[in-house]
Amino acid sequence: MTVIDLDATRGTRDRVDEADFVIIGTGAAGATAARVLSEAGHDVALIEEGPAPPQAGFRADAYSAFRSYWRDMGFQAARGRAAIPILQGRAVGGTTVVNGAIVHRLPEAVHAGWESDGALDSRLSYDALTRTFETLDRELRVGPAPESVLGRNNGTLRAAVKTLGARGNVTLRNVDGCRGSGRCNQGCPTGRKQSMHRTFVPRAMRAGARVYATCRAERVRFSRGRASGVSARFRHPVTGERGPRLTLHARRAVLVAASAVGTPMLLLRSGVRHPLLGRRFAAHPGTSVMGIFDEPVRMWSGATQGYETTEFLDDDMKMETVGVPLEIGAARMPGFGADLVRRVADFGHVAQWGVQVKARARGRVRRGLFGDTAIHYDLTDEDVSRFRRGVARLIEMMFATGAREVWPGVHGLPARITSADAAAGLADMDDDPRRFHFIAAHLFGTAAMHPDHRRGVVGPDGGVHGVEALHVIDSSVFPSNLGVNPQHSICAIAWRLAAALA
Amino acid sequence: MFTFEKRWLLRIADAILPAGAHQRLPGAREVPLGGLVDDLNRFAPWTLCLAVRAATWIVTWFGPVITGRARLFGGLSVPERGRVLEELSRSRVYLIRELPVLLKMVSCLGYGGLPSVQRAVGLTSVDAHPPAWARGGA
Repeated sequence: MTVIDLDATRGTRDRVDEADFVIIGTGAAGATAARVLSEAGHDVALIEEGPAPPQAGFRADAYSAFRSYWRDMGFQAARGRAAIPILQGRAVGGTTVVNGAIVHRLPEAVHAGWESDGALDSRLSYDALTRTFETLDRELRVGPAPESVLGRNNGTLRAAVKTLGARGNVTLRNVDGCRGSGRCNQGCPTGRKQSMHRTFVPRAMRAGARVYATCRAERVRFSRGRASGVSARFRHPVTGERGPRLTLHARRAVLVAASAVGTPMLLLRSGVRHPLLGRRFAAHPGTSVMGIFDEPVRMWSGATQGYETTEFLDDDMKMETVGVPLEIGAARMPGFGADLVRRVADFGHVAQWGVQVKARARGRVRRGLFGDTAIHYDLTDEDVSRFRRGVARLIEMMFATGAREVWPGVHGLPARITSADAAAGLADMDDDPRRFHFIAAHLFGTAAMHPDHRRGVVGPDGGVHGVEALHVIDSSVFPSNLGVNPQHSICAIAWRLAAALA
Repeated sequence: MFTFEKRWLLRIADAILPAGAHQRLPGAREVPLGGLVDDLNRFAPWTLCLAVRAATWIVTWFGPVITGRARLFGGLSVPERGRVLEELSRSRVYLIRELPVLLKMVSCLGYGGLPSVQRAVGLTSVDAHPPAWARGGA
């Protein structure tokens, strides 16, 4: 895959280019739109702030991945009562390069809610989306994690779910011939994960699309009320070294797919004004529980996230395995000093499972005091109450399958507990989010879709109200969060919106 | 980050992951953790750098408050250092108890990311060479 990046342009003059469609962002939404539009015969140019990752052979250590492929080295955080890291990829392929490759279709109930609210038109009917999901399943090689690479972290959760008579399943993932390296979040070392940088981006490039990487879109350009292009600049994402400027003219339209954080920030920088732009930020925050077992678990061997229980989806909670690299696992273990070192030595016997919540909280993305990105997001009492119940269930499941000791990671509970009874304190605890360590990785809603310009930033076609030829096609347009992993829904909705423009 | 701040931070890392605690595993002082600190200092978002520096200062200067001895963190005995970190991490004040967590994260990122440590723990998919940050490269 040849891309034009800082290395290729260092020492050269500012550039000007022109395309039918200029797409900002190469993650699930941008790459999908590029594949649809370029294969329909359109001239497409993509801009990506992050670097082009290798096709395979990523380094094993987490810091190298954070540094190269995660926004703000994985330390981007939302501020509220508790600081919540907001995890986002930043590379050609976006978050799909470093996510767990989990596939879920848009839940029918969520779609029905959007439809009954009048947010959608026939472009995004459930039948149309279902046909697109079927195509995506084929093209992204979606299937259950094979038994041969399930590994003990996933197998132990499956055993726990069975013991307790709950519903659970091997996770559907977009991985073709997984080798079970347990390194999805550092980038697939064997290139088996069907991330966008291995699938739709190269496919679009074969159809003539070009990719400008390590190139930050500074603002959308307008001419007579119409989006006419993008001003961008090559910039090293880690060192900040600046290269030449890039001006991209769009003959047909500018498509923004820079994520529910990046999209409102770009539109605000570009002078787009709407009372809801950057507001209604929604997410799926999550937290985890660790347990140590007598038998080896070896989180490093097997699918990173290969098993989930859907028993509690009706209560807006989803539980799943969360395989982590040694360094993240060590930081999550309780204690300091010699005790911590001994636990690190026992890392091979440690399992980690997580609970993510379809949170009611709504936040806001806006420019900070220094022009940086400021995310405000504060969980509601109802959300924290769900986490209290979810963590209690995870603890119960850990002990049900033979954990010797469980590390809840909740302030107010003992750091190490040896029976499920010791977690009873969760039931009486207050709903203070500062008791937990959360992360949030699925982000939505900051440029929500609705035909009524008072209720949405964009219309049902993704077009920004009041501006011609400017479309938002990523999860910013989702009127709510989903309760399940969103990559497949993002691809499908971007596909439908792009196909309508083709 | 000044040189003395880096020295403070490495002493805290040494208390988080001390040497001699396990026969197979080195301590933080026995691995090139300084490379990660330098790399963070050069390239991490300023908010993260500021938070790490603030945490380093507070942990260093909280030693006398918790132990009642007029010595900074680095001058305390090994059990006293452990006690300071444990006390801070159990604080009723959210921001205070997050400080050692942040420094633990930084220490573990550097420590657990090294192939030598990964091999000692038993990981099977390990890089042949240490990452660039551990070799002093960018």
